[in-house]
Amino acid sequence: MKLTLPPRISPQQFDSALQSFASVVGKDWVMSSDADRDAYSDVYAPGSTDQWPAAAAVAPANVDEVRAIVRLANEHKTPLWPVARGKNLGYGAAAPRMAGSVVLDLGRMNKILELDPKLAYTVVEPGVGFFDLHDEIARQNAALWMSVPGNGWGSVLGNALEHGIGYTPYGLHARNLCGLEVVLPEGDLLRTGMGAMANNPAWHLFPMNYGPTWDLAFSQSNLGIVTKAGVWLQPAPETSLSLTWDIPNEEDIAWVIDTVAPLKIAGLIDQNVFIPSWLGKIVVLGQRKDFWDKPSAMPEWRVKELLKEHKLGYWRVEIRLYGDEAVNKAKAEVIKSAFKRHLDAAPFESWWRQGDPKPPMDLAMGTPTAVPLQMSDWVGGRGAHMGFSPVVPATSEHVMGQLKRSRKIIGDHDVDFYASFTIGGRFANNVNMLMYDRDNATQVDNIKHLFNALIDDTAKAGYGEYRTHLGWMDRVMDTFNYNDNALRRFDERIKDALDPNGIIAPGKQGVWPAAYRGQKKEGAQ
Amino acid sequence: MTRAVRFGALALFAAATAAVAVSAAPPAGPPAGPGGVPELPPYQVRAQMPAGDRLATGRDGKAVFEHVCGYCHLAGGMASNLLTKQMMMMHRPPSDGLLSNRTDLFPAYVKAVVRNGKGAMPAQTRVDITDAELNSVAAYLAKGKK
Repeated sequence: MKLTLPPRISPQQFDSALQSFASVVGKDWVMSSDADRDAYSDVYAPGSTDQWPAAAAVAPANVDEVRAIVRLANEHKTPLWPVARGKNLGYGAAAPRMAGSVVLDLGRMNKILELDPKLAYTVVEPGVGFFDLHDEIARQNAALWMSVPGNGWGSVLGNALEHGIGYTPYGLHARNLCGLEVVLPEGDLLRTGMGAMANNPAWHLFPMNYGPTWDLAFSQSNLGIVTKAGVWLQPAPETSLSLTWDIPNEEDIAWVIDTVAPLKIAGLIDQNVFIPSWLGKIVVLGQRKDFWDKPSAMPEWRVKELLKEHKLGYWRVEIRLYGDEAVNKAKAEVIKSAFKRHLDAAPFESWWRQGDPKPPMDLAMGTPTAVPLQMSDWVGGRGAHMGFSPVVPATSEHVMGQLKRSRKIIGDHDVDFYASFTIGGRFANNVNMLMYDRDNATQVDNIKHLFNALIDDTAKAGYGEYRTHLGWMDRVMDTFNYNDNALRRFDERIKDALDPNGIIAPGKQGVWPAAYRGQKKEGAQ
Repeated sequence: MTRAVRFGALALFAAATAAVAVSAAPPAGPPAGPGGVPELPPYQVRAQMPAGDRLATGRDGKAVFEHVCGYCHLAGGMASNLLTKQMMMMHRPPSDGLLSNRTDLFPAYVKAVVRNGKGAMPAQTRVDITDAELNSVAAYLAKGKK
């Protein structure tokens, strides 16, 4: 990828910025070749990767180097785009929102600083991946379980800071963060919570500040760079029981939601309950062409045939219980009788007990895997995916409304429908996976139109997304329009106060610093 | 890395997959352990990253491969599943789905794929794997070929 300079920076100025970075990290950790820029581009970009080009990347080894680079970036007016491991696949990967930003790759900062089985938490740097933490827990034989997202390749902190979701009782990953160390936009260093007092041992245990609490202000945020944080982990349970039902029909999701959500809110179910539709089970069995060989979306009759052929329901519900055997048994009885009111079939039951090996592919047991990414092979070619993920109240009325709305829009664009709902308590998170071949221009164009239609129509109905790809960050921020977009106005006032040069992640989540507000139109879809 | 290398690799890949269009068998599950419950497959119990300077030559290619590439390329990993399928479509032994079993990999090819990406695999940055580490991994996978 050719060099795109940051706004208002000459090639000479950029060169001297890179040289100053090299004086901090060493020249090998300043990466600015065409191949480097390619490697930091959005691997799943809808369309050309040139829409969100990084100018270079720099990789510090520790917090002092981060602070030094941030100060130099201010001096040289060179904006930074911090990434933890850069695996935010489907949302932009490592690529920056604003063209010409320098990726600050924290992947070398990959130390697991503490792992405490007694109080069940860890303290990690941003470069620690889910697999790394999993390996370390196994090596120490610590009685702790993680919560992992579908793609276990990414960073524990990066995923939590981006509001990633897993399928265990610790599945709202941002909620597990406790006590952050943050490099501020002018290079100062802040510790939140009890960490604001030097050497306070409760830093990663008590989740609030004395005074205003800032931890989550640094999530989906451009107010600072998180260099380490506490993450709460789940104590390994004595036993775990999973109950699995195949739910026959599409409209059954209504009673499923009205059955599961109250149990979740009441605490009978601890985990985030993931309810994928049938395509989630088929994608790992082969490619789209093995099941439907036409470019048009798979029609309803073919879906019905496939469900029959593979003995699948339209939805699958797997509820996993964690804890002592007697407690799990009692909970299971309550849950089974709630399902029995709507479905005669008994669930498939599977017990796990301490000492048993864990099933490797069960995300609800917190074992990381990248295998769900196999779905990118579904459409063939250089497969890619984007997720449209609005949040709706966890009642049948709202869920069915959203299901019908997104299904119609996706059908109108002739794209396969692959929905899932994750019940996280009082809300359901509806992820619609849109898969496409990056090298098929017609498909890419269609997906972009589809994505805009989904955002706009869903917002008209009153719902918003919880996370989105770089190209839609502004469009989604625009949908949060209460009181003349008070949220963005507030975010940008804080941004300008803390980051007068607009150095950290300009445009992140649609929040633009004054210095670069003119760039907003570029790269927006 | 030139564009030509990338398109070359892609063309080869496309030709190979287009040659035989049969529906592939589902990826095999992991082997059963005690009590019939599958054991964690190798990709979930990786080697540790070898200690030492990541920029120095002579890194342990096998250990780096298993640590850095292992998430996907050890047995049971996503890439091994996809490659096994592709190998079978080409009437090659399914065991060739594991890169460590392959005898037809050359260092330049390994490096091109790692730096440019291929199919579902994204390009790897020099933080993911340094040039020195990639040289060692390429030598390990090429089994002495130059």
